Amino acid sequence: MILLLIILIVKIILLIAILMGGFAYTTLLERRLLGFMQLRLGPNRVGPWGLLQPLADGLKMALKEDLMPAGADRFVFRMAPVFSLFAALCVDAVIPFGAPIHLFGTSISLDIANPSIGLLIAFAFSSLGIYGIVLGGWASQNKYSLLGGIRASAQMISYELAMGLSILGVLMLAHTANLENIVLAQKEHGWFFVPEIIPFLIYYTTAVAETNRTPFDLPEAESELVAGYHTEYSGFRFAMFYIAEYINMIAVSGLAVTLFFGGWLGPGFLPPIIWFLLKVGISMFIFIWVRATFPRFRYDKLMSFGWKFLVPVAFVYFLATAAFVSGVL
Amino acid sequence: MVGIVILAILAISASVGVVTARQPVHSALYLVGNILSLALLYLMLKAEFLAAAQVIVYAGAIMVLFLFVVTLLTAGKEERELPEDLPGQRIVAGILSVIVGGVFVALAIKYPGPTLKAPLPSHFGDLTGIGRLLWGPDFIYLVAIAIMLVSAALGVLVLNPPRKRRQQEAEAREQRAESKASPETTRKEREGTGS
Repeated sequence: MILLLIILIVKIILLIAILMGGFAYTTLLERRLLGFMQLRLGPNRVGPWGLLQPLADGLKMALKEDLMPAGADRFVFRMAPVFSLFAALCVDAVIPFGAPIHLFGTSISLDIANPSIGLLIAFAFSSLGIYGIVLGGWASQNKYSLLGGIRASAQMISYELAMGLSILGVLMLAHTANLENIVLAQKEHGWFFVPEIIPFLIYYTTAVAETNRTPFDLPEAESELVAGYHTEYSGFRFAMFYIAEYINMIAVSGLAVTLFFGGWLGPGFLPPIIWFLLKVGISMFIFIWVRATFPRFRYDKLMSFGWKFLVPVAFVYFLATAAFVSGVL
Repeated sequence: MVGIVILAILAISASVGVVTARQPVHSALYLVGNILSLALLYLMLKAEFLAAAQVIVYAGAIMVLFLFVVTLLTAGKEERELPEDLPGQRIVAGILSVIVGGVFVALAIKYPGPTLKAPLPSHFGDLTGIGRLLWGPDFIYLVAIAIMLVSAALGVLVLNPPRKRRQQEAEAREQRAESKASPETTRKEREGTGS
């Protein structure tokens, strides 16, 4: 009992440490890659190849003054970034990072919790992440922030629908909503991106929209809204929004890998956890690549793309998968 | 038992917060707190699917729509008290709610529920169990709700026919052509139709 508790606490601390480290070096990777893609160097002065840049950034964030707008709703303003980060971290708790390992005579699964409806739990937490953005925008009492928050709520609701429809096919093929069993089902039936390639593309598109990244970054569109919902935030509260965005990226990448690309499965010459991290890394690279490639959507185009294209296509493919799985076809 | 009591206190105090908060956004937040504590109550009663559905549907979608509207309504307005039409309604509402709550408590003490002796059926409250119920004995309710939702969606289409909408858009376009002299307003209108 005590051993299990200790293992759980160690796992939680390790997960948070890995996610924070992942966040720090994703920002560096993003800045360097964007630099190369735009024919410049990116930050390369702090440490060899700029490897200590995240440390310098963190120090700078921590030392900045914590501003509070005069008309702000103080409590909500303070809580909004906390809520954002909390929801982002919780999504990762149910993602299995590798095959169960054997230590001290017990089998330790590499996730914090393994509920039988793990996929739904992950979606529940990721749907809560929107509150941080909407409330942060509202509590700032600033027109740009408010517009950013309102855009975020409309965008998230529209794209969450298509996202939910796109993963139902995987649920039906695997006959379970438990993330570990979904990975094990892919060991038997092959990776699910082969039969579910269209839902995967829809999932990835909506994932970019859910994390508010270019080309779907309308909540913080700097050309029209200054910085959108976090215009009034500074110092560590801004950093929390920033961290939440990158941890959300890691979470949706982890879910994409788990659902469509066989999770930790891979040829035996590398340990499972390395395979998982490698696949997540490739997904993060594509996130950055997309950011460097596409211009931002216009707002009405974003809405009509979500409702008139993604949702119908996801729904039709969902019905086709249902017909196939149930044996009607 | 202790957990259920704590969650019940949380849920009740959150719902008191919904009706007493001055700011509509705070009311919405209290409602989110109430929804989340209800979800945890479901989880403690072994209805894990219901808990997840509660968070995804109510907290994740419906309350976000509420907030979408409420944040727009109260943007930048400072709190101010309007004079009440019904004097003393707060006190009367408080007394009435205490009486109703007292009646509920009295009924619960007088008619205690039967204690559960048999163990829970297998797959109680998880995805498999809910699926078996919905596509087995309770299929008729599923169909009824499906008919209701489809008729609601059809109702929207009937109340807002496409041809009418096309006419409205044509009129709007004409108006825009008329007011082309001032480009500032046309840009605003275009953004307005986009949302």
